[in-house]
Amino acid sequence: MTVHEMKHAASDGARLEAVGGRLSRVDGPAKITGAAHYAVEQQLEGLAHAVMVESTVAAGTVLSIDTRAAETAPGVLLVLTPDTIIPLRTASDWFGTPPPNVPYCPLARVVTYSGQHVAAVVAETFEQAVAAAALVKVTYDETPAIVDLSDPKAGDGIPIEAMTKEWGDAQAAFAASPVRVCAAYNTPREFQAAMEPHGLIARWQGEALTIWEPSQWLDGMARTYAEWFAIPFENVRLVSPYIGGGFGSKALALAHSAVAAASAKMLGRPVKLMLTRPQNFTSYGGRAATRQTVAIGADRDGKIQSIVHRGVNETAVDGMWVEPLGSVTSIMYATPNFSSKQNVVRVNTVVPGAKRAPGENPSAFGIESAIDELAYELGIDPLEIRLRNYAEEDPHARKAWSTRQLREAFAAGAEAFGWAKRSPAPRSMRDGHHLIGWGVAAGTYPVRRAHGEAVVNILADGSVEVESSSIDMGQGTYTILAQTAAETLGVPVEQVSVKLGDSHFARAGVAGGSRLAGVMTGAVYKAASQALDELIGLAIADPRSPFHALQANTLVVRDGRIASPRGEGPELSIAELLSAVGREKIEAKGDTMPATTTAEERYKNYTTIAMSIPHTEGDYSRHSWCAHFVEVRVDEDFGTVRVSRVVSALDSGRLYNPKLAESQWKGGIIMGIGQALLEEGLVDRRHGRIVNGNLADYMIPTNADIPDIQTISVGIPDPHSSALGGKGVGELGIVGVAPAIANAVFHATGKRVRDLPITLEKLI
Amino acid sequence: MNDQSTISPTTLSIHLTINGRDHALDIEPRVTLLDALRDRLHLTGTKKGCDQGQCGACTVHVDGERVLACLTLAAQVAGRSVTTIEGLAGEDGTLNAVQAAFLEQDAFQCGYCTPGQIMSAVACIREGHAGSDEEIREYMAGNLCRCGAYPHIVAAVRHAAEGLRS
Repeated sequence: MTVHEMKHAASDGARLEAVGGRLSRVDGPAKITGAAHYAVEQQLEGLAHAVMVESTVAAGTVLSIDTRAAETAPGVLLVLTPDTIIPLRTASDWFGTPPPNVPYCPLARVVTYSGQHVAAVVAETFEQAVAAAALVKVTYDETPAIVDLSDPKAGDGIPIEAMTKEWGDAQAAFAASPVRVCAAYNTPREFQAAMEPHGLIARWQGEALTIWEPSQWLDGMARTYAEWFAIPFENVRLVSPYIGGGFGSKALALAHSAVAAASAKMLGRPVKLMLTRPQNFTSYGGRAATRQTVAIGADRDGKIQSIVHRGVNETAVDGMWVEPLGSVTSIMYATPNFSSKQNVVRVNTVVPGAKRAPGENPSAFGIESAIDELAYELGIDPLEIRLRNYAEEDPHARKAWSTRQLREAFAAGAEAFGWAKRSPAPRSMRDGHHLIGWGVAAGTYPVRRAHGEAVVNILADGSVEVESSSIDMGQGTYTILAQTAAETLGVPVEQVSVKLGDSHFARAGVAGGSRLAGVMTGAVYKAASQALDELIGLAIADPRSPFHALQANTLVVRDGRIASPRGEGPELSIAELLSAVGREKIEAKGDTMPATTTAEERYKNYTTIAMSIPHTEGDYSRHSWCAHFVEVRVDEDFGTVRVSRVVSALDSGRLYNPKLAESQWKGGIIMGIGQALLEEGLVDRRHGRIVNGNLADYMIPTNADIPDIQTISVGIPDPHSSALGGKGVGELGIVGVAPAIANAVFHATGKRVRDLPITLEKLI
Repeated sequence: MNDQSTISPTTLSIHLTINGRDHALDIEPRVTLLDALRDRLHLTGTKKGCDQGQCGACTVHVDGERVLACLTLAAQVAGRSVTTIEGLAGEDGTLNAVQAAFLEQDAFQCGYCTPGQIMSAVACIREGHAGSDEEIREYMAGNLCRCGAYPHIVAAVRHAAEGLRS
């Protein structure tokens, strides 16, 4: 199937309800009236409330936990410690790697980071649980901790061979290059900070477990619960109808999830547990702090001869996270010689995790800052140097791009921004006290692909149901799947209801890596096509159908009505036809997996990420692309930086709904502004503790920090990337924003800040 | 709403007026308005984002003014008029102009901060602080949105304010 087989392939000017139309969110009315019930808002009889107790040291052993005062506090039902919680089994990781056959205890006896869960209290009310949790006394044998990458005890870390990418002789070519730049670029520990805290409600009914939990991956998390409790996968039902933001943080069942489910089992009552906002900074990992050095050697015309890249990211003492720092470095520019290597360094932190564009985001900060430095070194315009080194094919995979509208993005963005009016010298543009700077940077994100399935039912009244255990955390899944089904079946979009967020629906893989829209529109298109074929088949072949006598080869459905293509003969609504032929329902399950797929492979496909399809599979290298143009105003006396203008041109291929895609792009850009100027997890060096673990001290952008933002779509349908021609949207927007701002700050001030965030003390 | 096991010697019997309806509650003095709304009255439209007065997701109106329900004890608002997101639309379901503008401008993604944003926006316009985009940004800065809907929130508030003025 290609995009050309769609009936309405145009992205722009498409009817609202068709794929590519600017339909408002179909879940919008529920969200603006308070009627949207998020997972942890289920009202259940007999609900008990759990509160976690976390470690106050970063390394050591729990010597004792005094629970006496907590146990006798009003309303307390249960105090859980490593000694009293029921034993669980260790679950496999997200690759599905078989776990070691050892018990799993989600409460720590050996502490490896500050904020690790060591105990929990369950009480009749939330207030009682909070009060009793404060009475739990934990004593530790504290040992020295490695607080962060700059700790003298941290060392050089562990080489990750799989991250090594090399061609040519990068070191020699760099040494021989007439023009060289080499610098180190750092990004701090950052947090996803979704507005909805993590939490869950767990309820057991016999051996069946129902979990209401915000989730980016119902099937993957259901697998983890099933393995922890040694029950069949089918016994676990995960429900997550709306998700209050995830940004990578809500794809895994975590230690507190296990505690809630275990306590519900122990009590024989449903248990609700919501992490406090500070616990949201320590109960799961944000983006790992990173360090990179980027060396670029070029000829005097600015043509890159060599890139030498070395990267380090922090990981946990007892867990592994690799933030792939060479991912953009290795593909953005054409270079005959290249070398990238990466180490990870263990520090006393919770295991870092996925935050919007893991890898690509810090990688772009390195290479897109470095090429800006090269531009100034050579006296070449920063946009021009990017065009001189434009990669006409994937320099690493040595394959053609499926589509790469980056040149178009540079052109459209520059035009809309007015880049031609830029005065090249630093500190040469000002407005009173404000130094004005204009910066540019590019971004990219790979097209991650997977197989998917979806159910499409046509009901007796002519309405259509779409069912999938995929989710909508604000990307617009409800809306674009309604549009896909409506267009494919030829029914008004109001007749389509999309049901998501229940693991008992048709299976779905992770909503991560910007893959969900491409996977699910393909699956719904397939299911809806099958349903349509069956509907038309019935209309033609069933003796009770009014179309039977017509002896037509095919029929068309438009606006929910069936007719012959030429208009002769009868015209019936879908409901009238189903009634005439005596059918209650047409059910279709669309499945993009090969027919030979075994049940085991199917399970693996949806509950692990092991079967993701490489973005360089076959003849093409598939990525989305963007170019950000940023204006900053820097107060000359105080060093405060304000972003005053952003124009971004982005290639996400065909947009399924431009209105929603633009929102996601802007959201990514705004998170990038936060990364560039505000966001930094601060660690107390004495105790290895995050000291700004709350939404006032870990500063994310507020409305007053954000200017109007213009986004321009330069994408074209990419038949190699997805069934309907789209590429990734959600993660692309953030990639390249921070270097564009850093480059603009250099242009404004003449100071190159290579260490995020760009705070005023680095400029004065 | 409370059974015997949750009633302590300090339990208060109070009446709250929420969206024009009277609710009798037996609660401890330490129960916040936010938890009373969400856990006792099952009005979950008001969201808990931080429980520390930092994010604005729990914004409601008390006697017409915006307050943070997480920093307000339920007992403090006894006898006062509380409006939540559930009470903003008309009895017939007609959306408030701000709600309609949020939908039209796509001023939200995940929707979790949205009730608080809308309650703040209604108050912002009523306070006379929606005169320019600059002013809207400043007076809406207490409501965090991690999805980054800010430019669309500003557009929605501007459109709603213009609509209400004309």
